[in-house]
Amino acid sequence: MNEKELVLEVSELTVNYGATSALKSVDLFAHKGEIVGLAGPNGAGKTTLLETIAGFLRQKEGDIRLFGTQINEFPVLKRRMMGVVLVPQERNNFPYMTVSENLDVGGIINCKDVNKRLIEEVYQLFPVLHTRANQLAGTMSGGEQRMLAIGIGLVSNASILLIDEPSTGLAPKMVTRLFETLGSIKELTGKTIVLSEQNIGVIDIADRVFGIEAGEVRFCEKTEDLDRDIIRDLYLGK
Amino acid sequence: MNLDAGITGIIMGGVLSLPVLGIAVIYGMTGITNFAIGTIGVFCAFMTWTFFSYGTVVGILVGLATSFVIGYVIQWFLLTPLSEKGGDSTLFFIVTICIGLVFTGLTRVLFPRPNISLLLPRMGTVRILGVTTSGLKIFAFFFALSVLFLIRLSEKHTNIGKSWRATSQNLKLAKTVGIDTQHVFAWASSIGCMLSFSGAVFWAALYNVSLMSGWDLTFLGFIIAVVGGIGNIWGGMLSALLMGMVMSYSGHILGGMWQSVVLYFIVILVLIISPRGILGSERSL
Repeated sequence: MNEKELVLEVSELTVNYGATSALKSVDLFAHKGEIVGLAGPNGAGKTTLLETIAGFLRQKEGDIRLFGTQINEFPVLKRRMMGVVLVPQERNNFPYMTVSENLDVGGIINCKDVNKRLIEEVYQLFPVLHTRANQLAGTMSGGEQRMLAIGIGLVSNASILLIDEPSTGLAPKMVTRLFETLGSIKELTGKTIVLSEQNIGVIDIADRVFGIEAGEVRFCEKTEDLDRDIIRDLYLGK
Repeated sequence: MNLDAGITGIIMGGVLSLPVLGIAVIYGMTGITNFAIGTIGVFCAFMTWTFFSYGTVVGILVGLATSFVIGYVIQWFLLTPLSEKGGDSTLFFIVTICIGLVFTGLTRVLFPRPNISLLLPRMGTVRILGVTTSGLKIFAFFFALSVLFLIRLSEKHTNIGKSWRATSQNLKLAKTVGIDTQHVFAWASSIGCMLSFSGAVFWAALYNVSLMSGWDLTFLGFIIAVVGGIGNIWGGMLSALLMGMVMSYSGHILGGMWQSVVLYFIVILVLIISPRGILGSERSL
């Protein structure tokens, strides 16, 4: 009875790019309110996995279930309506719209009151977005654009946020702040987050880490049980 | 005399700006260069002419409805699926030219006359700076201007408008946040075709429209749109007005035969100086 509700369940997922196999029989799961980290080097298949869950890529084999419902054949829009939202690594805002317009659009399917409340919450989490509310998103710094991308994801009121490598290209100080904020998002909103990261700092905020390499899951461990040597081997090789 | 040519140019530019706006809306939103837009507009103007005997309003409503449906259907069933299969600009060029040829052929087959003119109410005459011009021409100009402002206002202040802008700026993210981009594309195509139809109706009322006029509307419309900054509706409007003036003055000073020489020379010049058009574009061709 103590077991938390299973939000996402991916089993034996195989995805090909032409003849090349990008994911091989991948298993993944996320419970309600968990941050699940996808750790692994560049090209491991993390982005492919998130994009397949969001519906942008189709699997060759395997199953994706959301709250127990199989969503294998559902288009992006239907998955979105069920609560799956992807925060892409690149091109993750509307560059010729202001910050406040970006957040408005992020919650376009919400009712007005809910949107207003969620935007206020985002402004509290990222005060810089509030001060830049009337600035065009494309003219902000890389770090601010990442915050906006996560803000858009939060306003979307998703059941499960798939955040793809939010720390890429950010200064170390900025990365630390970003991870702290992601941790507080979990505390404040209780959202389920699947977070792909090349940055090893992901293990400090995740409840569970899946190590991915060459399209395969090498390990799945609760963070407190995680042997740091495994992580080191994953990134640097044995 | 010169003022007369100037006013004629502005009005010509105003009418031309309608298909240009149509092109800008479709390209800005879908990224597709739809070369069928002019012939679809002219086909629907012929529909209006056919139903004119039931009244002006009925005729125009039939034309508007037809252009809406055609725009929606070709986008939903043909262009969006092609785009999702990775269709490139060459493929869209060929496919939309073919669609345009189909509508030219249909106009030839379905309607008894190769050219028409529509008798819209003349709306009296208006005197501007000593030059007398028909109220209809002034109406056409202000109609185009109103459409431009309406599009801009709805883009800025309505959820539908915001979802249009979002889709044009970042399709993947638009899908991610839950915008039904397939409907957005279909609406853009419908609005584009209705604007082209409006241009064709004014053209048929002020001058006349023939089977091949659709291609003139398309190519002139595209050139004007590119000069303004394709996908940029302010740029499109400004460019249409400038080009209208160029056509009018060059015809007036040098004679009709020089009109296209001067026009296209200026187009080349503008694009060499500013390849993304006068006001630039959020997308590039």
